[in-house]
Amino acid sequence: MSPTRNVDFATLTMKEALDLAILIEEEAYDRYSELADQLTQHDTPDAAHFFRLMMANEAKHRAAFAEHRDVLFADAACGVTRAMIFDVEAPDYDEARAFMTLRAALETALRAEQKAHAFFVAALARVTDPTVRTLFEELAAEEIAHQELVRRELAKAPPDAAIPTDAFADEPVGE
Amino acid sequence: MSVAAKDFKSDLKPIWCPGCGDFGVLQAIYRSLAAIGRPAHEIAFISGIGCSSRIPGYTTAYGFNSVHGRALPIAQGLKLARPELLVLAAGGDGDGFSIGGGHVPHAVRRNDDLTYIVMDNQTYGLTKGQLSPTAPQGLHTVTSAYGSLELPVNPLLYVLAYGAVFVAQGSPADIAGLTEMIEAAIRYPGFAFVNVQSPCVTYGDESQQIKVHKAVMKKLADLGHDPTSRSQALERAQSYGSELLTGVYFCDPDPPPTLGARVRERQEKMMAAAKPRAQILDTFVQH
Repeated sequence: MSPTRNVDFATLTMKEALDLAILIEEEAYDRYSELADQLTQHDTPDAAHFFRLMMANEAKHRAAFAEHRDVLFADAACGVTRAMIFDVEAPDYDEARAFMTLRAALETALRAEQKAHAFFVAALARVTDPTVRTLFEELAAEEIAHQELVRRELAKAPPDAAIPTDAFADEPVGE
Repeated sequence: MSVAAKDFKSDLKPIWCPGCGDFGVLQAIYRSLAAIGRPAHEIAFISGIGCSSRIPGYTTAYGFNSVHGRALPIAQGLKLARPELLVLAAGGDGDGFSIGGGHVPHAVRRNDDLTYIVMDNQTYGLTKGQLSPTAPQGLHTVTSAYGSLELPVNPLLYVLAYGAVFVAQGSPADIAGLTEMIEAAIRYPGFAFVNVQSPCVTYGDESQQIKVHKAVMKKLADLGHDPTSRSQALERAQSYGSELLTGVYFCDPDPPPTLGARVRERQEKMMAAAKPRAQILDTFVQH
């Protein structure tokens, strides 16, 4: 399942690549926001708090790309739309669980960063514009750096409780 | 006027369990409505009762979270009264194929221009995990502690057998594919049915979760399926419950007239043959 629709990486320009990067950050921001709301509603404050931190990170990245884009292309019209991307860096909806631990939330973010890295690596195989190639190489490297940050946080996170978190939720009846 | 997916997102935050398949379905609906491009005030979203039936409230379209199993009769009435509206109906497998099961064949045979999205999770999640009509034989639930003895309803065969003109199946494991499917269903001029395998994260079977879908789902398009062939669709639909095939099962290449079109044609004929107003009034006057 491709995370993009109607994006031709072979002809992608620097302006379109920056627009794409901005939209990817926006999508991730929106998804972390949704997951944080879900977990707040379901009494899972630690994971919700962490997802709000991730929102702040994605907003920061988006602002940096927007600034770069502004310098290079000012008010030129955006060449790509949100309809063209599907969960590039956004964590999957099914990652969230009521009562998930901080560790599980960190692992969710790690998988999202790994997914984003895989996206840029796959795109690089098709990109022809040298400036876009440089940008995507930087973005792929950044995703690796983000993974390292999450891994460091994981190392500091308390271990999960001996009782699994889903023991607090109703479960299907087994034999 | 261009519309974006975010324009269809209401201020109400979904209260589904985190990880529920319905979040992906809602996202696909937002995106497909944005692709259609009609503003929210030209869209009406009707549902029955259940977890998934909360979905109209999470959109900015006109919505009616109605009575259990009655989304389709209300949607049909609305479409007849306000044919200019884009009308969607949604609900769960219990709402559609148990409580509302009697309404589905009539919506199919009337063929009004509606899109019916069923979020099929094989359980009654809102009431804490009872056996639902699409639950597989042998499934353990609170009402089938030793395993279900019943064969499941097959929603795809059900609607195809009654002559449905557009039938598709998707999963929130592929939001992009589901978005395209819902958009195609909305654009189809007639009764369009989309069955979405939307797992219940709390009461659903482990084998029906999104991670499993991602591993096992197969696209009909990759299998050489011809979506214009009803017989192929009937054959493929028989594997419901044993394998997860996604895509358009059947799309009648020659759409029959909708109920709305037939009603308008009848109205025009009757209007043409009607006596002038004065003449009608005159028949009530005693001479």
